[in-house]
Amino acid sequence: MAATVVARGNVSGVENKDFERLAVPLLDGLYNFARWLCGDADEARDLVQETFLKSLKGFSSFREGTNFRAWMFRILRNTFLTSRTGLERRNTLQEDEEGFEESSVSQETPEIALIRRANTELVQAAIAQLAPAFQEVILLADLEEMKYQEIAEALDIPIGTVMSRLARARKQVREHIVVALGGKRTVGVK
Amino acid sequence: MTNCEWREKIGLYVDGELEPSAEQAITGHLQNCPDCSSAVLEQQALKKAVRVAGKRFTAPPELYASIQRQMMPKRSLGLWFKWSALAASAVLVALVAFALLSRPSTSSATVAQLIDQHVTMLASANPVDVISSDRHTVKPWYQGKLPFTFNPPELAAGSPFTLIGGRLTYAQHAPGAELVYQVRQHKMSVFIFQARDVSGEPSAGNQAFVVNGWQQGGLQYYIVTDGAREDADRLRALLQDANRQ
Repeated sequence: MAATVVARGNVSGVENKDFERLAVPLLDGLYNFARWLCGDADEARDLVQETFLKSLKGFSSFREGTNFRAWMFRILRNTFLTSRTGLERRNTLQEDEEGFEESSVSQETPEIALIRRANTELVQAAIAQLAPAFQEVILLADLEEMKYQEIAEALDIPIGTVMSRLARARKQVREHIVVALGGKRTVGVK
Repeated sequence: MTNCEWREKIGLYVDGELEPSAEQAITGHLQNCPDCSSAVLEQQALKKAVRVAGKRFTAPPELYASIQRQMMPKRSLGLWFKWSALAASAVLVALVAFALLSRPSTSSATVAQLIDQHVTMLASANPVDVISSDRHTVKPWYQGKLPFTFNPPELAAGSPFTLIGGRLTYAQHAPGAELVYQVRQHKMSVFIFQARDVSGEPSAGNQAFVVNGWQQGGLQYYIVTDGAREDADRLRALLQDANRQ
């Protein structure tokens, strides 16, 4: 999806209409992201509703030239981080980041075929086991197809951190799949 | 695996984040380096797998409806009221009265009825009675159920519209067809009834919904959507073409 940069109207009614035109198409993506973050349907629904309320309220202060989609995801994520589940997960996030060690992945045998054979459930499990910091970055990059700059804006982190987290997230997803399929070949194979 | 200088750039390459000159250089390099080209294929496969598996949850229809409700009063009042609805209530009453008085009551009632049906469809777990994107399936389904016939338009490949299906509907005690189309994230209802003595074309709708109506070949058509007015106009043109006699 292409980045959307809003040209500001100067009438409040126009702004509101602009908001709906831009925000409603993002609903499914925001809900999916919220659902991954919260792990709970009701909580995700409340989170999305609160995000819409906050962003509608704050739309008049939305800065010209800013990426709207990144702005919406940022509001959603900040709202999530201040929730109870978010605070709990934030602690996990820090521990995971500190404790992460790059493991050397065998590069002699590319496991392309294994990855292609991995079924949806296995890949979902691989995403689910990621630390939140890695999970959100891989979802925004591969699912929302955001550019690194957009992700940096949405998550409020430097672009270098986006790149390193993304590389680690992918490495972990890959290892999860390879171990699951390589270790026990009948599991998770279509 | 060789320790290629490009090895570090493979992620950037797959994500389309490289400068054009670097992208060109790595594309050339991939022709001669089996390790790097395998790594690119693997990253692409992984990216695709995550994209497919990550799209796991869809917003429930009631969330759509609830978000729409959240936005509705603010839009009609305007942001300058700043949520102080009480202060504005006198103005609102006057606006509503003006809107009702300035429009023929029959058409207002019909439009309100159709908007209600469109919202019911949006909130329903089974929004259509016949599920098909094929117009040749949907049209015959109405045979014997309606005292008239019509042509759903043929949608070209690449058209933003998708036919989801159809169902039977009633308005002003008459049976009709409701065709449901999807355009991007929005659904559109096309209502078709036998034309009666309805004057004018209710093409205004209200603040939240676009209603586009016209008569053609003895039938009365209405499009109701929470989407863009331009999309309703485009779908109207397709239907008019398909039913030209």
